[in-house]
Parts: sequence; C-alpha cells; structure tokens
Amino acid sequence: MDWSTAAPAVSAAFLASLVEVVEAFTIILAVATLRSWRPALIGTFAALAVLALVVIILGPLLDRVPLHLLQLIVGILLLLFGLGWLRKASLRAAGVIALHDEDAIFQKKQAQFNQEAAQSESSQDWIAGITAFKAVLLEGLEVVFIVIAVGAGRGLLWPAAGGALAASLVVLAIGAMVHKPLSKVPENTLKFGVGVMLSAFGVFWTGEGLGIPWPGADLALLYFAAIFLTTGLLTAWLARTPKPEATA
Amino acid sequence: MSIFLQVLKDLVGMFMADARMTTAILALVALVALLINKAVVAPLTGGWILLAGCVLLLIASALSAAVKSRK
Repeated sequence: MDWSTAAPAVSAAFLASLVEVVEAFTIILAVATLRSWRPALIGTFAALAVLALVVIILGPLLDRVPLHLLQLIVGILLLLFGLGWLRKASLRAAGVIALHDEDAIFQKKQAQFNQEAAQSESSQDWIAGITAFKAVLLEGLEVVFIVIAVGAGRGLLWPAAGGALAASLVVLAIGAMVHKPLSKVPENTLKFGVGVMLSAFGVFWTGEGLGIPWPGADLALLYFAAIFLTTGLLTAWLARTPKPEATA
Repeated sequence: MSIFLQVLKDLVGMFMADARMTTAILALVALVALLINKAVVAPLTGGWILLAGCVLLLIASALSAAVKSRK
C-alpha cells in the first residue's frame, strides 16, 4: 500500500468518524444516564447489527459497479456532503449559526426522552433502546458512506475502515474513562477540516469519473484541500463582516 | 418501520444541507460533463471549471445564508 495515496483517505475517514462517533456517544450516554446502560447497549448493538448487514449486502455490489461510474457517483455525493459540511462549519465559525455543543445536545436529548416517555404508553426501556438505535444507525450509516466514499475509488476500503474503527475505539476509550459528553473535542474545528477534505475528495473523484487527468494525480487532493481550506476561511470571514448600515 | 423512514429522511438531509446549493452542484457537474462530452472544452479545463464552480457555489450559498440571517 502506497501511504501517499492512503494517508488522505485514512485520515479523512478517521477524522470524519471521530465527529460522528462523538455525536452517537453523546446520545447513548444521555439514554444510559437517564434510564440505564442495558437498553442503551441493546439499541447500540442492534444498530451495529443492521449496519453490518448493510455492509455485507452492499459491499459485494460495489465490485460490480464500473470504476468510473463508482468514482462519479461517490464524487457527486461527496461534493454534496462535503460542501454542505464546509458551508455549515464556515457559518458556525462566522457566528451566523450556533456552535455544535455536545453538553447542550446531551441536555436536549434527555429532555426529549423524558417528554417521549411521559407521552408514550411504551415502556421507558423500549424508548431508550430505540433512541440509542436510531442515533447509532444514522451516525453509523454516515461513517459507512464516508469509508466507502474515500476508500472505494482506489481500493482503499480496508485502510479507510481501519481509520474509522480507530476513531470509534478512541471515542469509546475516552468516553469510558470520563463518563460524560465529550464536549472538549473541538468538534466544530474537526467538522471544518473534514468538510475541507471531503470537498477535496468530491472534486477529485467527480473529475476522475468524468475522465479528467488531474495534474500530479493523487497529489491533486492536497492542492484541492488547500483551496477549500482557504475558501472556507474566506467565507467565514466574509460572512462575519456585517453589512454596512445605510446612512440617512 | 417509521424508525427506518426517519433514518432515511435524515440520510437524505445529509446530502441536501441547502436545497439551492444541492441543485446548483448537480447542475454544475452536469454542465461540466456535457462540456467535456461534446468536446467544447478539454477535460482538464472542465476540471478547473468544476473546481472553480464549487468554490463559488460555497461562497455564494454561505453568504446568502448569512445575509438572510441578518434580516
């Protein structure tokens, strides 16, 4: 394996998964604190089983898709996903939308859970399990997409999956030690960085899918990332600048 | 079943942070594909158009959201 090719894919998968796993962990912890670990873990493992099923069913299909078509589809999805993240991260950096706050999300999820439990006739364990299930399934599907997106185009699925697994283990290990929402993780900065990398991958794969011979081949990812980083920072700066007030 | 529908809805939302930006990105990719396919521009030129288009769309979409938020 050539690390100059694999490193961007592995690091993008690691950082993006770190963000997703932190978000899932916050919700699992909210459920476990309010109810108990049993329904939280049952919901989590049920979602992981569904995710494994999705990977087992869809994984082999990827080999059947022609490479250029796969690169084009993945590239377009990455552009939509990556530019969306970068847009949101720039707006957050500019103070236009509120920063992502794991403590606030933890409180909100607990309040939501209490409300659902009060309104529903279902048992609280069931609601707790379903809440954890949905969170892990959704964040997990995002991780699966990111791993496929950054790894499939160059046969780097396993290294990218390794990056995602490492991120999950890091979050679980830290989470088990501190036992509270990981609010110290610089999630907004991470999202900015991940948005930059995914957008760079998006342009790269879309171009490869359209048969564009990028100068420098895989090295093009680096200058695309530099361009998107500069654009993201510039956008945040421009969005922060208030419009001049009209004078009477 | 409603759980899976909800997850599906959230997943679609993942790729459609802003409907206008999503439409514009898809239109940009279609335009570049057409330009390259009809040999109007060289493939690499098409690549630069794609990159520049993405950069401009990002700036325009974020600034439009910023202006809206101030109103």
